[in-house]
Amino acid sequence: MPGKVVEKQTPKPRFINAITGNLGAILVGLKYFANPNRFTLKYPYEYIELRNTYRGFIVLDMKKCIGCMSCARICPASAMKMVKVTVQEGKKPKPYPVINYNRCIFCGMCVDVCPTEALAHLPVHDVVYLSMDEMDLDLERFQQKVESPSVKEGVPVKYVFDPEKGLVKVPASEGGES
Amino acid sequence: MTDWIRLLIDIIFWPPLFQLVIAPGLVAALLVVIFIIWFERKTAARVQMRIGPYHISPRLGGFLQLFADLTRYAFQEIIIPTAVDKPIFIGAPLTALVLSLLPVVSMPYTSTPYYYPLPMDYSLLLTVALSTISPIFIVAAGWASNNKFAVIGSLRESFVITAYELLIVITALSGGVAALSYNLVDIVNAQTPFYKWMIFTNPIAALTMFAAILMATSGFPFEIPEAENEIVAGAFTEYSGLMYGINMGSAYIKRFVYSLLFTLVFLGGWLPYKPGIHLIDGYIIPLVVVLVKATIVMAIISFLRAVYGRFRIDQALDGAWRIFIPLALIGFGLALLEAYMGVYA
Amino acid sequence: MSTTTTIPKKLPGMDLKKIGKDLYEVFIGPQHPGSGHMRIIIRVDGDVIVEADPDLGYVHRTMEKLAEGREFIKIVPLMERMAILDACNITLPYVEAVEKLMDIEPPPRAKYLRVLLCEINRVASHLYGMGIFGVFLGHSTMYMWPFGDREVFVELAEKLTGARLTHTYAIPGGVRRDLPQGFKEDAEKAVRYMFKRLEEYRKIFLDNPVIQKRLIDVGIISKNLAAKLGIVGPNVRASGIKYDVRIIEPYEAYDELDFEVPVYEEGDAFARAWIRIIEIQQSLNIIRQVLEKMPEGDPMHEKFWAKAPPLYKKVFQETKRVKLIPLFANLKVPAGRAFARAEAGRGEVVYMVESQNAMKPYRVRVVSPSFRNAIVFKYIVPGHRIADLPAIYGSIDYFPPEADR
Ligand code: SF4
Ligand code: SF4
Repeated sequence: MPGKVVEKQTPKPRFINAITGNLGAILVGLKYFANPNRFTLKYPYEYIELRNTYRGFIVLDMKKCIGCMSCARICPASAMKMVKVTVQEGKKPKPYPVINYNRCIFCGMCVDVCPTEALAHLPVHDVVYLSMDEMDLDLERFQQKVESPSVKEGVPVKYVFDPEKGLVKVPASEGGES
Repeated sequence: MTDWIRLLIDIIFWPPLFQLVIAPGLVAALLVVIFIIWFERKTAARVQMRIGPYHISPRLGGFLQLFADLTRYAFQEIIIPTAVDKPIFIGAPLTALVLSLLPVVSMPYTSTPYYYPLPMDYSLLLTVALSTISPIFIVAAGWASNNKFAVIGSLRESFVITAYELLIVITALSGGVAALSYNLVDIVNAQTPFYKWMIFTNPIAALTMFAAILMATSGFPFEIPEAENEIVAGAFTEYSGLMYGINMGSAYIKRFVYSLLFTLVFLGGWLPYKPGIHLIDGYIIPLVVVLVKATIVMAIISFLRAVYGRFRIDQALDGAWRIFIPLALIGFGLALLEAYMGVYA
Repeated sequence: MSTTTTIPKKLPGMDLKKIGKDLYEVFIGPQHPGSGHMRIIIRVDGDVIVEADPDLGYVHRTMEKLAEGREFIKIVPLMERMAILDACNITLPYVEAVEKLMDIEPPPRAKYLRVLLCEINRVASHLYGMGIFGVFLGHSTMYMWPFGDREVFVELAEKLTGARLTHTYAIPGGVRRDLPQGFKEDAEKAVRYMFKRLEEYRKIFLDNPVIQKRLIDVGIISKNLAAKLGIVGPNVRASGIKYDVRIIEPYEAYDELDFEVPVYEEGDAFARAWIRIIEIQQSLNIIRQVLEKMPEGDPMHEKFWAKAPPLYKKVFQETKRVKLIPLFANLKVPAGRAFARAEAGRGEVVYMVESQNAMKPYRVRVVSPSFRNAIVFKYIVPGHRIADLPAIYGSIDYFPPEADR
């Protein structure tokens, strides 16, 4: 059963609306003045503990990588490229991916396409780099798990859905699975 | 030694000086305005799912943010475009600020004659007259800016002011008519006991004056002459730094002055307090009562910003000439009726 | 020696043009608090606008050309940049067109998931539009509320796809993630919350006499004019034309869902404001239904999924993530030309994809809704006052990055 068209008309303003409309608007305003509903995140004093499905920064597990280059080939922003590295003495150099966060759009396709799960997202979205060169990671830094700068002093929080308030900010420890 | 202190006190509390410079003049007005701006931002934030100013002083609810903003305005570079008419461009906002503050001197804040700044016999007329001067300079500032948006803005300003200051004049005078006097002291003193406050005996005039204050002092979102999304900043488009701050400040100060007038005429001034004859009980306390009432009036205006949108200029004028002026005249008629029946006799 | 400086009659790109006596030319934008990344040149006579010229192109990014140099899958995140707050809607027809060329049809569950995200996007996009509309009318609460409530739906989309805005969710063959745990309950909570809020929007905004005064009979697009200009989306439906791609050519799972498409007669800014509220309500209904009716099954076409190694299945079981087989990087699409269209938040979006049996398309043509709506400025703004321009702009819900591509 597909959707159907319903013809409607905008409510015509009556004279009475000059009173009820003003009153209604002021009452709604007063209601929120008395009982505000706000879920502002006081970043960096608080930070969101992201879900583990979040498409955040990416980390490479070199042991799992087989050098298939799929990740570099699928990357829509050409953020990932392959470098040849000699891992063991006497062996042929193998290609490994490195990432350039100047370009990455966090589409997560590289992670999804990797046949061995060598790449993974971290639940981090707010790393600070001091220069653009620094954002071009080499193989070693690509394997380190970056940490959000707000972890040090901030309090982790979580947002849970609520039918009355929309979102409610709770401490991460009691947020449960969300 | 005590003579010294007495002399000093007499000088400081010499009403014409004290009222213009300290309270409710420059110093108190600045404090009230800063408080009101903070209150406005916090109120709007509360209604709008936000927190508002916070970071600078979390304990005080971000109150110091306002001083930070003030400092920023004070030290920002003042850019004076080459194409402007310099003397007017610089002079007009300053004149407007001083003139918008002037009416505080013509208003009494106590019933003790020793503390009148001026002879009070025609103080209502004088106050109303003084309060209508400053808009001319805003129009001049816009004209001197040599900017399309500024010209449109000052044009709007003149339209709005003509319509709504007329309303303020009519409604304020209806208070005088009802009390059979243009002496603000008499008007206030007539309003005892408290159910005789003119807001209760003449709600139509009170409501009209309140609406007129809203529109005439161009606070967001009733700032038709400065509507941001339409004409950038209206007459003040070319101003920057402290000059812009002064322009914004003088709008708030005007609102403060009108709130004082509203308090005296409709909210019973310093009543229910009965001023004594000494400095503290005869001058300071009634003054504080008046200030608190005026601040509450301003706070209500501030709250309304969260509820309303902006009128279109022709609709605002239409409302003024076709709805509010008749209402104001009805209020005036009501005042005449009260005078006839001797409610305040 | 003459002292007069000679002004060249015509500077390149700068025509000196007489604009009539008593007219004032005002440039609204591109650096104006009441314009987006665009400019409207208006000529005013007093306070009344006599001529308006929309001047687009400030955020033109040559998307169609860029698409010619990219593999098919990489175009999805590219096209998303047109309207990141409406990401699924705006890329869906592209994905469908590619699917048509490849002659595959996504599994039913994928269709439902796409509809789910599309409707979440539609709600978010309408809320964004309402917010801009509010601030253009000087109503700051109506600016903050929809933006705050939009967060609820952005959060919902993040839960589903892992990204707040650029989801890159629908890809040829299916979608990239299955429903996560507890999504249904959360969505139900969000829907209930939003229904409640819409009621309050009505009270503070649409029933507010000031706003009614500003909107009623402002910027009327008559039925004829709407048809002639070919505008789309909620704007055309507010003018009484029954045109919604979800109904006239149901795509994905829309023919199995029960929903209403509101059509208003008046064609003024007020009707355009109302229609968005009703559409949000209907979208919320659709979200509920989709979650009810969602069939079981794989979210990816078997062509790509059947041969997937066991690790892929395991990852899917654990994290609901659909892993892509490496083939996706170099998807070869059979030669041909395919059209597809969808109803995005702001109206109909049409794609034409032409492939020459290669890894990159020969041509991708996009017609985005805002581009088709931009023309109304020229026709309906004249005759209104300057203050009406923001009202009309806001009611059209014009989004420059989408128009300029
Ligand atoms: S997340 Fe996307 S853009 Fe970033 S490296 Fe991976 S594929 Fe490239
Ligand atoms: S896709 Fe995975 S295995 Fe292949 S090169 Fe990239 S990281 Fe290594």
